[in-house]
Amino acid sequence: MNEASLFFEVDYYQINKSGMSVAGDVFLSTRSDDGSIVTVLADGLGSGIKANVLATLTAKMASVFVLNSMDIRKSAEIIIDTLPVCSERKIGYSTFTVARIEPDGNVHIIEYDNPGFIFLSTSGAKKINCERIDIKSSPVKKNFINYYTLRLERGDRLVFFSDGVTQAGMGCASTPLGWGSFNTCGYIENLVKTDPGIGAGKLSRSVVSQALAHDIYKAHDDITCEVICCREPRKLLLVTGPSMHPEKDREMSERIRDFKGCRIICGGTTSQIVSRELEMDVEVDISKISKDIPPKSIIKGIDLVTEGILTLCRIAELLESGKFRNSDEANAATEAIAIMMNNDIIYFLVGTRINEAHQDPSMPREIEIRRNIIKKIIYNLENKYLKKTELQFI
Amino acid sequence: MEKIKITICTGTACYVLGGAALLELEDFLPDELKFKVEVVGSACLGMCKNALPDSKPPFVKVDNEVIHSATVQKIISYISQR
Repeated sequence: MNEASLFFEVDYYQINKSGMSVAGDVFLSTRSDDGSIVTVLADGLGSGIKANVLATLTAKMASVFVLNSMDIRKSAEIIIDTLPVCSERKIGYSTFTVARIEPDGNVHIIEYDNPGFIFLSTSGAKKINCERIDIKSSPVKKNFINYYTLRLERGDRLVFFSDGVTQAGMGCASTPLGWGSFNTCGYIENLVKTDPGIGAGKLSRSVVSQALAHDIYKAHDDITCEVICCREPRKLLLVTGPSMHPEKDREMSERIRDFKGCRIICGGTTSQIVSRELEMDVEVDISKISKDIPPKSIIKGIDLVTEGILTLCRIAELLESGKFRNSDEANAATEAIAIMMNNDIIYFLVGTRINEAHQDPSMPREIEIRRNIIKKIIYNLENKYLKKTELQFI
Repeated sequence: MEKIKITICTGTACYVLGGAALLELEDFLPDELKFKVEVVGSACLGMCKNALPDSKPPFVKVDNEVIHSATVQKIISYISQR
């Protein structure tokens, strides 16, 4: 297998315990300098702010330790010693699962008291043997860490979840002891069987929604699911802004036409250039109106055509805050983000001509120079969402 | 009778300077006008770049006539007078 073509798509979905404004489960993902991906899913004791503090501390420490290849036993002991002690329960405690995925597909997983993760190959779920590592025990319980190593190949998936998933529906007649790991695994296997191309975002969202349904739509605990998909990278081309040199209009349009993958055009003028050069109609779709974001347009064969700077600003904001996940917002910006999340390598082709109409001082201050916004978007896609990007100016 | 075509510019400049509200024009049309007009959106009509000093976005075209600093009221009174 050509290792360079392996890509690891990472995404997660989360619902807070009913009535809580923050989650006690924390998910973190980072890419290290050598290209490895480190993800952590931590579940703090209790719920709400206190749990969130425990889980955040744990997740952050765990990811830093693993990024620096520190000994597992040592890292776990430091984490357990550092956590603040709960005033009611007299213990400081947070479960965690840390995964380190190396660029060649080798994976190391450390699991501490979280429900067991699921390894799905193209033929279904597979059991992975673990090494149990004894760590410093607390007065209340014996502590073990499960350590797994495995190798991901194209088409494989890893699914991690908090106990909010396995314990969903506990006490109900149909699931007296909760949904359980076994049933959850069966559900995930079925999902993948019916939709073999399902991405990490959709899969994690489906698992969380199903768990919520078991809880009869009132989450009894934070419900979090994290998915890592190993797949051939999906490619997206995002073109925005007219070139400084009108003679490049043709080149830009042909790059869009000939691109193999998803295509987004952000910009009214840009879409008109493409429409002119490729002799394709562009039509504004005013059937759905959003208060803040101009409507999208339609060019046949292009996945999404939007207005430029306002939409890009909103995309940058939403990527920065991550709030597109649990929001009802529906406009051209959220559609663009959905496409971005479903792709792995994103090529940006950016024109640098300045739009004179935007230099009017009565325009809102948020309107920034296109290049700066693109820079922000790329930063977040790379660092927060672990996408690969390439930027080219035209 | 041929319908009056109202083209609303959805370019960035027009949109932020009031064009967003114009897209709901159809909801505000009086009954006698509702069936006489057709409302469509358009990518930037390019008028902001060549605008005269006293003509400002948002721009709207009523058939081939251009209205600047357009508001829902302004458009309605313009087409009522035709």
